[in-house]
Amino acid sequence: MMRTEWRDHDWKLIHTLPQSPSLHMALDDVLTHEVGAGRRPATLRIWEWAAPAVVIGRFQSLRNEVDAEAAQRHGIQVVRRVSGGGAMFIEPGNTITYSIYAPLSLIKDMSFQEAYAFMDAWVIAALGELGIKAWYQPLNDITSAGGKIAGAAQAHRGGAVLHHVTMAYDIDTTKMLDVLRIGREKLSDKGTTSAAKRIDPLRSQTGLPRKAVIARMIAIFRRLHGLSDDCLQAGELADAEALAQSKFASATWLADVP
Amino acid sequence: MGSVGKRTMHGEYKMPGGKLVVIDLDVFNGRLANVQLSGDFFLEPDSALLAINAMLTGQPAHADEATLATTLHNALPADVMMYGVSPCAAPCTRVPTHDAHRVA
Repeated sequence: MMRTEWRDHDWKLIHTLPQSPSLHMALDDVLTHEVGAGRRPATLRIWEWAAPAVVIGRFQSLRNEVDAEAAQRHGIQVVRRVSGGGAMFIEPGNTITYSIYAPLSLIKDMSFQEAYAFMDAWVIAALGELGIKAWYQPLNDITSAGGKIAGAAQAHRGGAVLHHVTMAYDIDTTKMLDVLRIGREKLSDKGTTSAAKRIDPLRSQTGLPRKAVIARMIAIFRRLHGLSDDCLQAGELADAEALAQSKFASATWLADVP
Repeated sequence: MGSVGKRTMHGEYKMPGGKLVVIDLDVFNGRLANVQLSGDFFLEPDSALLAINAMLTGQPAHADEATLATTLHNALPADVMMYGVSPCAAPCTRVPTHDAHRVA
């Protein structure tokens, strides 16, 4: 396998209507597989959320991370993703989430640390153009003077790398800390005071609506790496819907690490 | 009861500025049982989690850290990549500044 560059790939953009949390998990699984099998070109997918969710990492303990009673009370669906890393608290409009699916050749011979920074170099550039001086904090955080901006996670499957990132646009921490058990510890660790009511590094530092930030990010990816608009193939969506139902919405998968 | 009874144990270790590693297990007849590792670390492939749980299950409860680390290290396939949860013979008190595990 030869190392490839960004421009060696015919990058496609998928940015569709809001989808359910379990369908997002399934789309990541299916699209990573399709890119690995060579049936789909390398792809950037921007997520839109149809419902609030807590997304826990592949190896996180469900009961250790999530207050199930609080999640139910707030109407928040809890899902487990295919990649490692920490829990994310999502409400429609409060985060920007994207996935990159690429052949493993793009990060060939890189350490974990190098591969994370490499996959998000375009985001650091985009944030710079939006007036935010941001940098990678190993292993998997993007941070700024105004606090942590994003968390990334990667998984390698069948010849492809999945790299997905959730960026905080404007998060209500009161509800988040109600639902995530270790939220407080993580916040203190990241140097953010636990008394903060909102985590809004993107909103407060750009002054731009979420939609405008996404548009700028897409434009910069397009300029740096090339990008043409695409949509989900009918077969991809059907596979993902089936997988969302059979796996990602199931109690068995959610409690795979109880 | 006593040494033949079942004890349920839970331990958490957070690397400074790094990953959280959690272990839940029972001690039954002096051996580790129902071992469940969890946390916000990264493991490739993800099936390695089951392998680690299985390898720790049945180990003597009095086994020291170095023994358990060596057992894991020797038993895991060479292509397993870890970040934030690597077994090491010395106490893991620091975040690795780089990792030797590279993408094949």
